[in-house]
Amino acid sequence: MKLTRRHLLSTAALGLASCDRVVTQINREFLCEGVPGKMPPPPAGVDIDPDFHLLSRAAFGPWPGDVWRLKKMGNEAWLEQQLHPERIDDTACDLRAERFESIYFSAGDAYEFRKPVLRDEITRHTLLRAIYSKRQLFEVMVEFWTDHLNIDLEKGDCIYLKPSDDRDVIRKHALGNFHDLIRASATSPAMLVYLDGKSNKVRRKTDDKPNENYARELMELHTMGVHGGYTQQDVYEAARCLSGWTFDRNRFFALNAGESFFKPDWHDDGEKRVLGQVIQARGKQKDLDRLVEIVCSHPSTAKFIATKLCKRFVSMEPPASVVEKVAAEFTRTRGDIKCVLRVLFGSPEFAKSHGQLLKRPLKFMVTALRALMADTQADKPLLEPLQRMGHGLFQYPTPDGYPDEELPWMGTLMWRWNFGMALASGKQNGVRVNLYELRKQMHFVPEAWFAHLIGRKPTPEELATLKTEDEAQFVGLILASPAFQRC
Amino acid sequence: MTRRSLISKLALAAAPTFAAVPREESHTLIHVFLRGGADTLNLFVPHADDRYYRLRPGLAIPVKDAIKISDHYALHPAMKPLESLYKEGRFGAVQSVGVDNTSGSHFDCQDQMEHGDSMHGTPAGGGWLGRFLRLNATDSTSALSAVAIGTVLPESLRGAPAVSVVERIEDIALKNSGDSAKAVQALKAMYGADVTLLGQRGVETLDLFQRVSALQGKGDAPEHGAAYPKDGFGAGLREIARLIKAGLGLQIACIDLGGWDTHFFQGNASGTQAEKIKILAEGLAALDLDLKSHRTRYTVMVTTEFGRRVYENASLGTDHGRGFALMALGDRVKGGRVLGTWPIQAEEDLNVNTPGPGGLHAETDYRAVFAEVLRGCFSAAEVTNVFPGAALKPVGLM
Repeated sequence: MKLTRRHLLSTAALGLASCDRVVTQINREFLCEGVPGKMPPPPAGVDIDPDFHLLSRAAFGPWPGDVWRLKKMGNEAWLEQQLHPERIDDTACDLRAERFESIYFSAGDAYEFRKPVLRDEITRHTLLRAIYSKRQLFEVMVEFWTDHLNIDLEKGDCIYLKPSDDRDVIRKHALGNFHDLIRASATSPAMLVYLDGKSNKVRRKTDDKPNENYARELMELHTMGVHGGYTQQDVYEAARCLSGWTFDRNRFFALNAGESFFKPDWHDDGEKRVLGQVIQARGKQKDLDRLVEIVCSHPSTAKFIATKLCKRFVSMEPPASVVEKVAAEFTRTRGDIKCVLRVLFGSPEFAKSHGQLLKRPLKFMVTALRALMADTQADKPLLEPLQRMGHGLFQYPTPDGYPDEELPWMGTLMWRWNFGMALASGKQNGVRVNLYELRKQMHFVPEAWFAHLIGRKPTPEELATLKTEDEAQFVGLILASPAFQRC
Repeated sequence: MTRRSLISKLALAAAPTFAAVPREESHTLIHVFLRGGADTLNLFVPHADDRYYRLRPGLAIPVKDAIKISDHYALHPAMKPLESLYKEGRFGAVQSVGVDNTSGSHFDCQDQMEHGDSMHGTPAGGGWLGRFLRLNATDSTSALSAVAIGTVLPESLRGAPAVSVVERIEDIALKNSGDSAKAVQALKAMYGADVTLLGQRGVETLDLFQRVSALQGKGDAPEHGAAYPKDGFGAGLREIARLIKAGLGLQIACIDLGGWDTHFFQGNASGTQAEKIKILAEGLAALDLDLKSHRTRYTVMVTTEFGRRVYENASLGTDHGRGFALMALGDRVKGGRVLGTWPIQAEEDLNVNTPGPGGLHAETDYRAVFAEVLRGCFSAAEVTNVFPGAALKPVGLM
C-alpha cells in the first residue's frame, strides 16, 4: 500500500481531527500498528533477554510482537534489514509523520514560517518517527548524529535552517559514510550559522583574521576529540581552509539563495598546513574537501567516534576491546557507518552490557509509548512532559549536544514517574492507550507486564514491592521503577 | 563523575550530597517580565522635566497625584504600595536600560532579551537563565531548581537542565490513579534498594516530593496579612513565596505580567495602565510582606522588552520606544534610588511622523544588569559565559 504525500494532505483537508482517527484506524487494521494476532509470552529469564536487549539499544525499545519477530528472523538478519531502512516499508509511520509542511522546505524558504510552527513541526516529526517508524535503527542513529552535530534552534536563525539540516545532512547520511556526513554538515546553512562559519572571512589586503569557531568544533567535537592531537595552529589553519564558505538568504538573482555558497574573495587562498599535511595554495573551495578528508581520516577520529558510539550503545565505561574493534572497522572501511554498527552490535561486549545504560528522557518516553502501543499525534500535551524532563528536542544550547552521562538527567525523575503513571492509567493527555488488548495477550497474568516492559522476570523483592490489585498502578510503577529507567 | 567513582564515594560517606549544603540557605531570583513594552516613564515619573509634561498633555501623571521620591522622580500613584520599600532602600531601579535591537518588534526584542543576545554579538544557544543553570548545575539540581509560573516554558529558561512549569504547587504531585501512599512506598522501596546514583537521586526526589506535599496540606494562607492581587499574577507570586518558604532549593522563578502594550487610551493616574501598575505594585508588596521572615533569601527583578516614547500618540496612547526603567526588589538590592541618567531624545530630533526609536535611548546594556543581578543572587556563580562577548560593566544595582 503506497500513499503519497498529496493523498495525505487532501485527506488532511477533510478535517485534521477526524484524519487522526482515520490514520489510527488504517494503521491498526492494515499496517501492523495494532496488537499482533498472536503474541507469545514475553521473555522471562533471570537476565534481560538478548533480543529484548538488542531492541532496547538498536531501537527505541520493542513494539509488542517485535521480540518475537526478531527471534523468528534471527538477530543478524534483523540487523541487516535495519541497516537498509529503504527496504522496510514505513507507510504507517509516514501517515503520522509526513504531514508537516516545513520539513520539506529549503533553508531559504523556511523563513516563510513562524518560529513556533517550525519548532513544533520538527519536534513532532522527530518524535513521531522515533515512536512509529519501523526503521528503528535509522531513527536511533538520527538521534545520535543530531547530538553529535548539535544545532540549537534557538541560536540566531538556526530555527529556519535546521529542518533542511535534519533532512539533507543528518537523515541523508545517518547510515551512510562518516566523511560524507561531515562534508555535508560543514556547508549546511544551519551549521554555518550555528558555529559562525558564515562570517569566517579573510579578505585580501585586510587584516581579517579567520573565525575559528567551526574549525575548532570540527576537530574537538565532530571528529578528533579534544585530546586528539591537533594544535592551536591546526585549528587556525583549518579555519583558513574554510574561509569563504557562507550563507546569505538575501542574495538577489541567485537561484540557490537557500543554499550555502563559496565566496572566493573571502577565502584565504595561500598554502596551509593541517596536521602535518600541506594543502597547496589556490585550492579555493577544494580546500574544504581536503580538510574534511584529513580530519576524518585521522586515527584519533576513528577512536573518538568509536568511543562515543560505544558509550551510547554499550556502556558509559565501554571495555577497551570493543572500542578498538569498532575503531579498527571505522578505519578499515573509511567511516562506513553500517559496517561499524555491524561490528558493534555483533560484539560479545555488547551482548553482555544489558541493563547498564540509563535511558535519556526521550528514550524513556518512547520506549514506554511503544511498549503500550500508544496512539498519539505527538502534539503539545506530549511535548510538554519531555520538556519538563529536560530533553526538549533541538534545544541543547552548546555544540556538544545532549549528554550521555547520567547526572544531568537526575533532576527530573519525578516527571518520569508522573509520565509513566499517567500513561498507564490513561490520564496522559494527547495519548490513548488501551491496556486491555495487551492484557488479553498476556492471559491476564499481571507478572507478565514486568517481563513485557523490562525483558526479564521480576526478582521476588521487586514483585513484592510492586504487588497491587490495581493493574494500571502496577504498570505505572513498573514504568517508574529504576529497572525501566535503564536499558 | 563516573558511576564507579560515585559508588566508592557513597561507600565512604553515606550522607547524601544535598545535606552538606542546606537548601534553606539558597537564594531565589524571581524574574518578572512585563510583556508588551511597559511605559515605565509613567511608573517613575520625571516630574522635574517640562518636556515630559509638554509631550504628554493627556497622559502625563500630574505632580499633585504623583508620589515624589526625589528632585527628579515621582512614583505613579498606583505604585504607592512600593513607596515604603523604596524609602527603606530595598526597592530601586536603573533608568534607560535596553536591548540594542531597533526593530521595535515585541517578538524580536523579547526574543533577544530572553536569549541574552545582542544584535552585534555572537548569539549563544538557549535562554539566558537556561544557560546560567546549565553552566552552574550541581548534584543538587532538582525538579524545583527552576520554576516558571504558567503553562508555557519561557524562552529565557530554554536549555535549563530541569524546569518545572506550574500554575500551582499542587501541580507538583505524584499523579497516580490509585493509592498514592502505596505508590510512594513502592518507589521508596525500589529506589532505596538501588545502590547507584539513580537510586540515590530517586530517594532524594521522593524526599523533595514529600516536602512539597507537606506544604500542600497546610500553610496555604499568606503570612503577616499579606494580600495578593486576586488575579493570575498575584496567585503566581503567592506560589513562588510558598516554594521559597519551604526551602526546596528554588533558584530561579519566572512569572509574566502581560497587558503593557498601551497604544490606545493608556490613561494616566487612572485608566488601563494604572490598573496594571496597581497589580504589579500590590503583588510585589504582598510578596515582600508574605516573605518578611525570609527577606535575605530572594531578589526580584522586573523587566520588559522596551520602554515607550515620551510623546503621546493621537489615540491617547504611547508607541514603542527603546530604554525603560528596570526595577529590582530585595535585601541585596541597593535601592532607594534610580540609577542611570535621563537620555531623553532632544526635542528637535523628535519627528512624530517617522516611526523609529524615540523616548529614552537604551543607555545601559540590559545584559550588564542581568549579569549583576545573577552575581548578586548567586555569588559563586559563573556568569561571564552566560553572556559571551558582552562587556559587563558594573551598574551598581546590587
